[in-house]
Amino acid sequence: MEKSTKKPVIAILSLTCCEGCQVSIFDLGERFLEFLTRVDIGDFRLFEGIPDVPKYDIAIVEGTPITKGNIKRLKDVREKSKILVAIGACACMGGVQEIKDYRGDKHKLIRQIYPNIRGIDNPNIKAVKEVVKVDLEIPGCPINKEEFFRLINKLLDTGKIPEIPQKPVCDECVRRNKNCLILLGKPCLGAISLAGCGAPCPRSGFLCDGCRGPRQGINLEAMKKALRIKARLTDDDIRMLLERFGKLNEILKA
Amino acid sequence: MRIRIDHIAKIEGHASFTADIVKGDIKSARIKIEEGARLFEGIMRDRKDIEIPELGSRICGVCPVVHTFAGFKALESAYGVKVEEPALSLRKLMMLGQLINSHALHLFFFSLADFFGLENDLELINKYPEKTKDAIKIRDVGNSIVETIGGRTIHPLTPCIGGLRQAPDADKLKKLLDDCKNILPTVIKLGELFAQLQYPDFTRKTTFVSLTHPDEYAIYDGKITIDKKIMEIKDFLGQIKEFQAEDKVAKRTHIKNKEEHSYMVGALARLNNNRDELNPEAKNLLEKSKIKFPNYNPFYNILAQAIEIIHCFEESIKILDKLNNQTIKVSEANIKNKTGEGIGAIEAPRGTLFYSVKIKDGIVTSVNIITPTAQNLANLEDDLEELEKIQGFKNLNLKEKQNKIKMLIRAYDPCVTCSVH
Repeated sequence: MEKSTKKPVIAILSLTCCEGCQVSIFDLGERFLEFLTRVDIGDFRLFEGIPDVPKYDIAIVEGTPITKGNIKRLKDVREKSKILVAIGACACMGGVQEIKDYRGDKHKLIRQIYPNIRGIDNPNIKAVKEVVKVDLEIPGCPINKEEFFRLINKLLDTGKIPEIPQKPVCDECVRRNKNCLILLGKPCLGAISLAGCGAPCPRSGFLCDGCRGPRQGINLEAMKKALRIKARLTDDDIRMLLERFGKLNEILKA
Repeated sequence: MRIRIDHIAKIEGHASFTADIVKGDIKSARIKIEEGARLFEGIMRDRKDIEIPELGSRICGVCPVVHTFAGFKALESAYGVKVEEPALSLRKLMMLGQLINSHALHLFFFSLADFFGLENDLELINKYPEKTKDAIKIRDVGNSIVETIGGRTIHPLTPCIGGLRQAPDADKLKKLLDDCKNILPTVIKLGELFAQLQYPDFTRKTTFVSLTHPDEYAIYDGKITIDKKIMEIKDFLGQIKEFQAEDKVAKRTHIKNKEEHSYMVGALARLNNNRDELNPEAKNLLEKSKIKFPNYNPFYNILAQAIEIIHCFEESIKILDKLNNQTIKVSEANIKNKTGEGIGAIEAPRGTLFYSVKIKDGIVTSVNIITPTAQNLANLEDDLEELEKIQGFKNLNLKEKQNKIKMLIRAYDPCVTCSVH
């Protein structure tokens, strides 16, 4: 992205998801209002009636492209955007709904839930990068709004794609030196998961279940061993934990 | 003539609208949901019981707290676990924070521009910068209630079967009390703005459904009130019929009484059923607004939310006052037999939310989730088909007609994301 005196045009696009990442951005409160004065909004459905513009400098995309409408809109937006940023577990990895693909019975499931399935899309869940080119991924379920704000501002100020440091969640965890969940005999995926969230889950006594996906260079076997021996999880338990946010594919790559 | 609205903005999720106008009469009004099926009820099956609330919260990022608690309440009812004080009060506080944050978003950022004839919220923000800041501050306090107790505003972390995993910091609770007290006058001022708006004159008789509690304005708990009759939740669920038209990812619901019909849930239903239990300032604004009850004008759902925000702050102050005089200890329940069936019902910002679960040895065998918007869709479509009764509707041009339709849809505050799950 080239720097210019004109305000950058930002679009915020929501595909199929819970929209919690968009709400996180809105939860920036006064800082979001201040942000609005520094940019031009090209598309933000929560605010309606904003005239469409031919080009976006940055498109921010949450959710998974499931429906034909989702996929078409995503491709259009990619075409119009200099930089495309995927935010949240759904856009970056597929999100919790990808569990339906891992089960192997999604066609049976849809029949149990909907008596009339004609016209209801039930394709495999895809991350945004499986459909279009993604320039930056800001993961999390939901995103950490502080990290998001920092990265987007950096992108706006420098025009360069910022990088998220490849550190484990443990580095940000208040339980790091004492009360580590694994050492207490409880499950936690902090050691293999990408930091940047500020580790809110272990701080609240909740396991890190890896909503940000794996960091690079993990030792999956060591993690599994710790879960088996320390937290006494079965192989089935471990599988369910590793697939929870659609991150299984990511872990196998990492 | 055919009316189409391809993209209804300023609601949660994606939906479009179609109807025919035959000799001035609106026919076949249909909301079409443009979301992909995520099959939540299916993916929860065969997984561990405690994943129901965690996965359920991902149904909706606008009201994750209510999905979390509806899930835990269903599990607690299946296992016969009772949540004791002070965990119960802390959970209630989180619910109040959730209603505040969701209502503030809908009232100010989704609904208000319609009344001022503004095209979008950027215009609204530019024209009313101080009011915008007030609305943001109100939301911030709602968010900090949820974050202080729940560990995070979206997809909360501390709730567990039997109560809460972790007690909030005492100093932070004291600060919350100050914040709530300080913001209350601003909340009342915003409420007065909504009491002064001109609401379209439209009524259609319907049935109001909500929880009702003998001691308080029911949000976290209660039995079902359907019009004036109180019944057990289980009996109510036996009386409703979920149905799905072909090509629709969102199911709709009807009550099967003598005849089958639609019904309304949400803030207006709660005011119709439970307004006597409102706190004083909320009651005060309700009286000043001079609206009559029973009230069958769905546009007043907006005012009802404004009144509820005031109530929620007053209630939060009451609870925080009580909690600040005690040491707070919370714990997890120790359950031996994880087999059973249970129902969790709770008042979400948009109406009553139901989770029915069956568990065998800690593993989910079945889940059914009925969301407020799925219940309201049929009622909304019935309302839309009579919208031509608004005075002067026939003389409006197409764009003005579309605007009125969008305004009614938004008054319901539909959450499309929730309705498809």
